Amino acid sequence: MKATYALTDILTLALKAGLLAHQSGAGTHRTSLIIQRTARVLGAMQVEVIISSTNIGATIERGHERETGFRKAPHMGVNFSLLTSLDSWLLALEKDQLNASDAQLALDEIAQAKGHYPRSVVTLFVGLSCGAFAALFGGDTAAILITTLGSSLGMAVRFQLVLQHFKPFVFASTASFVALLCTGLLRDFTSTPDTAMAASVLFLIPGVPLINGASDLLNANYLNGIVRFTMSAVIVLGIAIGISLALRILGI
Amino acid sequence: MSTPWIIELMAAPAALGFALLFNVPPRALWMCGILAISGHAVRKLVLTMDGDMVFGTLLAALLIGIVAELWADRHNQPGVIYAISAAIPMIPGKSMYQSVQALLGIATMGTEADGTALLITAGVHGVKAIMIVLALAFGIAAPLLLLPKRSK
Repeated sequence: MKATYALTDILTLALKAGLLAHQSGAGTHRTSLIIQRTARVLGAMQVEVIISSTNIGATIERGHERETGFRKAPHMGVNFSLLTSLDSWLLALEKDQLNASDAQLALDEIAQAKGHYPRSVVTLFVGLSCGAFAALFGGDTAAILITTLGSSLGMAVRFQLVLQHFKPFVFASTASFVALLCTGLLRDFTSTPDTAMAASVLFLIPGVPLINGASDLLNANYLNGIVRFTMSAVIVLGIAIGISLALRILGI
Repeated sequence: MSTPWIIELMAAPAALGFALLFNVPPRALWMCGILAISGHAVRKLVLTMDGDMVFGTLLAALLIGIVAELWADRHNQPGVIYAISAAIPMIPGKSMYQSVQALLGIATMGTEADGTALLITAGVHGVKAIMIVLALAFGIAAPLLLLPKRSK
């Protein structure tokens, strides 16, 4: 026999789970499923979900009771660990291993979990990964090294600007400018300068919005898909502007 | 495309940097690397068999998407955490860069100069980059829809 929870509590928990998914890089379909599954498993009979790029909301019903709630979801980031924990949280809830108040606590814990990797390690590895790009594009060893250096610097700048809540357009153009300028200034050391410079800005590519956008379009969430594609286009435009400024200064 | 096959291994570090950026759980990292290398190698295989880049990217992305989904399903994880990190090394960075560079060439040339060649270079590389990115994005997203769903 399952406990009966107040509709308001169910809605709060479902919206919280949905909000976390939405802000950690889940596609629209996944976020919607998470809200529906959470509400249903806690006892809602009918669940209607609305997800836009900046808001999520749901109406849940049980008999003659009905409750509606909305949450603002201003920022779309990426946190795949959180997405994974959310999946196991939902599974535990569905297997009846958690009651509502435990689930609430567990969800708070998931939301507050720190990242697995310190910022300096991420910065260095993102730099290395751009160096690997230079190798994949056919660059020599010197190209790999200077790309790694330039991209790490750019990535450090990006982190700094993101922490100060600058918009994507601003951090994309500034970070690509820094990365390309640094790589370009060292271009005399390599015989394949073009590959080094092309690879140095790739850490800014909006991979998650692009792939989620495609997934939204294929799932018939056309509006959200277009929003994600547009977001990616703005970031790519920012990268292009940073590149063009740096190339002018370098005189290439 | 005469680069040796060993270079394909560089897809793993390229993917892992992004996996760290996306905060992929440590236990899932090795699979991201393996998927990245397999995807990149499949694309190279298509290229050596006289296939084109866009088709090769689509095939590679489909492979990554399907394997990621099946693997994640067995471990009760979201498949995107593997698929997105593994797809990143196939981003057409060089074409994008060449397109921007050509566009800048148009911006900086004299008033009398003829920019037709630059415009063509920018257009061709830009369109190619867009097609590869779309093939990548749709290839990764498609398996989620096509694979049969378990009752959940």
